[in-house]
Amino acid sequence: MSGQKTLYIDYSLCIGCETCEYVCRFTNDTSRIHMTRTRDGVMVPLYCRHCENPKCANACPRGALKRDKDGAIVLQPMLCRGCQTKNCILACPYSAMFETDRGVMVAKCDMCAQRRQVGMGPACVEMCPCAAIRYVERDEIPDLETEKSRQACEKVMEHLKLPGK
Amino acid sequence: MDPINFTFLCAEPAMPIGRSVGIIGAGPSGLAATGYLSCLGYQVEVYDKLPKPGGLMLFGIPGYRIPKERIDAGARQLERQGGVIFHTHTKICCSGPLHDEEGDHFCREILGFGDMIKKHEAIMICTGSWRSRKLCIEGETLAGVFSGLEFLFPIRAVKYSAPNVKLPDVAGKRVAVIGAGHSAVDVAHSAIHLGAEQVFHLYRRTMREAPCGVYEIEQLQAMGVQWLDRTTPVRILGQDRVEGLEISRPGAHGPELTTLPVDIVVAAIGETATPPFAKELGLENVRKGEVRWLHMTAIENVFVAGDALSGPSKIGKAVYSGLRAARSLANWLDLKAQDRLDAYDYNDLVVNDAGFRS
Repeated sequence: MSGQKTLYIDYSLCIGCETCEYVCRFTNDTSRIHMTRTRDGVMVPLYCRHCENPKCANACPRGALKRDKDGAIVLQPMLCRGCQTKNCILACPYSAMFETDRGVMVAKCDMCAQRRQVGMGPACVEMCPCAAIRYVERDEIPDLETEKSRQACEKVMEHLKLPGK
Repeated sequence: MDPINFTFLCAEPAMPIGRSVGIIGAGPSGLAATGYLSCLGYQVEVYDKLPKPGGLMLFGIPGYRIPKERIDAGARQLERQGGVIFHTHTKICCSGPLHDEEGDHFCREILGFGDMIKKHEAIMICTGSWRSRKLCIEGETLAGVFSGLEFLFPIRAVKYSAPNVKLPDVAGKRVAVIGAGHSAVDVAHSAIHLGAEQVFHLYRRTMREAPCGVYEIEQLQAMGVQWLDRTTPVRILGQDRVEGLEISRPGAHGPELTTLPVDIVVAAIGETATPPFAKELGLENVRKGEVRWLHMTAIENVFVAGDALSGPSKIGKAVYSGLRAARSLANWLDLKAQDRLDAYDYNDLVVNDAGFRS
């Protein structure tokens, strides 16, 4: 799994300004990252981690969620039939699959696949005023963590139920 | 630190196409629009009253929330790679008397709106929201009463050596902060850092309802701020300067009045938009979508975006508005350049477009 890229958000740096969400919306029509916050006020952009063991891909009966060469779990609309089970949405522990009213009715982050093809990075990363969201190799994440980021992350995780943990 | 990449839509600088656009205001919406247009090869000139691009991202929000270096680097990248020209210290006249808004004291040059329209093929107004809301209670004009922006702005601006900017004199004083948004939190933080003896933080509802969230308030309390919720300011007491703040709190038998012994009152209760010529440009119609072309004002080559159009909001929304307005502006200029504006059906209002509200 080394050499694979993913997104990493330091919740302690996020100010909830929604730039990621709106830049994503401008770039991809439907936003694939969504700002929310915990009851006590920690800002939580819901985002795809392109997991090592992706529950969404495992849950999809058509194999419509595949990993691409950079490590992104990409939804392939040609295989997705927009099924009503919404297994993928239900399976994601991070609430990072979104129901929409367009196309196959599901949207997910593909780390800006089209931008990557022409040598650019994910748009949200480029525009976050706080540099809270990073486009990194998965192995780099432990080095990016700080005491504050871990504390904020713990506060967020109180609200997320991770299966098998 | 990596720049905030306003030219995120293009991998490399675009070929110049010989079109000139002026953008008024170098905040998030103005810079997003600048990045978009510069990626299309436009010559963009940005006008701002302040000494540096960034707007409230730089002068309103404290540096520990948004790193100054990241915004500076983003503006520098626009200049060097996008060929953008920044005219700082420059105000485009005028929505009200000068020195009416925070940041006006930086202006060295005032340009007329008419000159702008002639100089550029199109202009975009991204002037944001800079006028503070008032409490509308007795004693509000006393010395020692500030708005959130009046209090926070000089703390950032003083670093840019403006002659008329002074840090709020807080050391050893008692401060009451009104409001529970992030600006109010920033005011309380700053007051403590500037050596205030005591800080009271007032909010009209409960802690749970505070827009800044309980977490921020707990951090303030840990710093020694005294949190008073379900509290409304009634009047500010004093002869020629603040000597106290009368407040109303719910008691056992209805509201009870008490007086806080404070020297400074900061009302961080929000700002309102300050666009130039709001009436003449018909901005209310633009906001509602009752126009024929997205983000276009009553003057056809003048566009508007961000807080100036829709009132105080979040950075993300301002960025989105700037990007959409820039796209709309470029589409219009394209059609105009081909002399095909007549072919466009002007009958339908923008508000009826599927994309308007999304």
